[in-house]
Amino acid sequence: MTTTAVTPARPESLLRRLAALLPGLLLLAAVGYAGKFIEQSINAYTKARHITFPNIEYVLWAIVLGLVIANTVGIPRIFQAGVATYEFWLKAGIVLLGSRFLLGDVLHLGGISLLLVAIAITLSLTFMHLLGRAFKLKPKLTSLLAVGSSICGVSAIIAAKPAIEADDEDASYAIAAILALGAISLFTFPLIGHSLHLSDKAYGLWAGLAVDNTAEATAAGALYSDAAGKVAVLAKTSRNALIGFIVLGYAIYWSSRGQAQKIGNKAAFLWQKFPKFVLGFLLISLLATLGFFAKPQLASLANLSRWTFLLTFAGVGLRTSLRELGKQGWRPFAVGAIGEVFIALLTLGLVYGADLYLHL
Amino acid sequence: MANSPRPFRKAFSLDVYAVVLALALALLVRLNLIPPVKW
Repeated sequence: MTTTAVTPARPESLLRRLAALLPGLLLLAAVGYAGKFIEQSINAYTKARHITFPNIEYVLWAIVLGLVIANTVGIPRIFQAGVATYEFWLKAGIVLLGSRFLLGDVLHLGGISLLLVAIAITLSLTFMHLLGRAFKLKPKLTSLLAVGSSICGVSAIIAAKPAIEADDEDASYAIAAILALGAISLFTFPLIGHSLHLSDKAYGLWAGLAVDNTAEATAAGALYSDAAGKVAVLAKTSRNALIGFIVLGYAIYWSSRGQAQKIGNKAAFLWQKFPKFVLGFLLISLLATLGFFAKPQLASLANLSRWTFLLTFAGVGLRTSLRELGKQGWRPFAVGAIGEVFIALLTLGLVYGADLYLHL
Repeated sequence: MANSPRPFRKAFSLDVYAVVLALALALLVRLNLIPPVKW
């Protein structure tokens, strides 16, 4: 009897995995820092020569530089793993940003956000399904687009895909549409906000409620002002916290139609889908509220979150391939785009209402 | 294969690593183990 020795695949050492991330991380840092350098240089130049010039935030420079690199020379393979860590830095940055909120503010603004999110989600999911039907999209693709545009973009689509057993192709279409629309909102939201003279709080709340991906929502907020960026992150975090409930709802719907498996332990499912960084954000906010950090230490934490966001914004540009976005069919994009315009208008109305009646 | 250990990467999500990193940084700042961070 011959036996074949099965050699278990040697797990890659942690050190080797970290080393593989290094080139991409350096690229993120270089692009992000170049964005900051350009902003500072323009400011210094225009100030020294008494030239009136609008301040273009480092956020925009970092994204544009990333976009140019990704869509001209491309991202060589060696950089890709490190560039993909931009979402990790986003989440770490959001947790650190908790230090800039007193828990009372989180509960006040977060509560308003949750209320608005609940209204917006109900209306936008209904609208997206009607649109999907009108454009004759596959029902599961419509579900993915609805989840992506009303909750939190790519993460929501990734969370929903296995739960409703959607095709890979549908998920890629939905992700591509959401990414393309996210990129467009980065450039349009600040312009609309300025033309409507929205306050930092109102704009931040709007960006957090309407822009799909957390990275893009953070960037769209920061493009308006530092204060707006802070509020956008809080509103977006409240929205993210609901991801499990919506995905669970869809999973139950599709399993009741015999097109997805039944969910056994619903509490475990909710916990699995719950974005854990929300808890980290609340913990740091609680510590800051209890006076655990001295004032200079709070400033350091806020600056640390800015540095991590810098890496995120560089990553947003670097991972956006215009060619890939162009490859998708026009119908998912059209449904996504019409849906996004509807959600942007709806949330803008809700924010105006909240400002009037709930005093933001 | 009920007893096979879950791979470390799969046991924890990206979120958990991000929270751990952020809390570790906050602790270092609190204990003044890193110099003030400028922007």
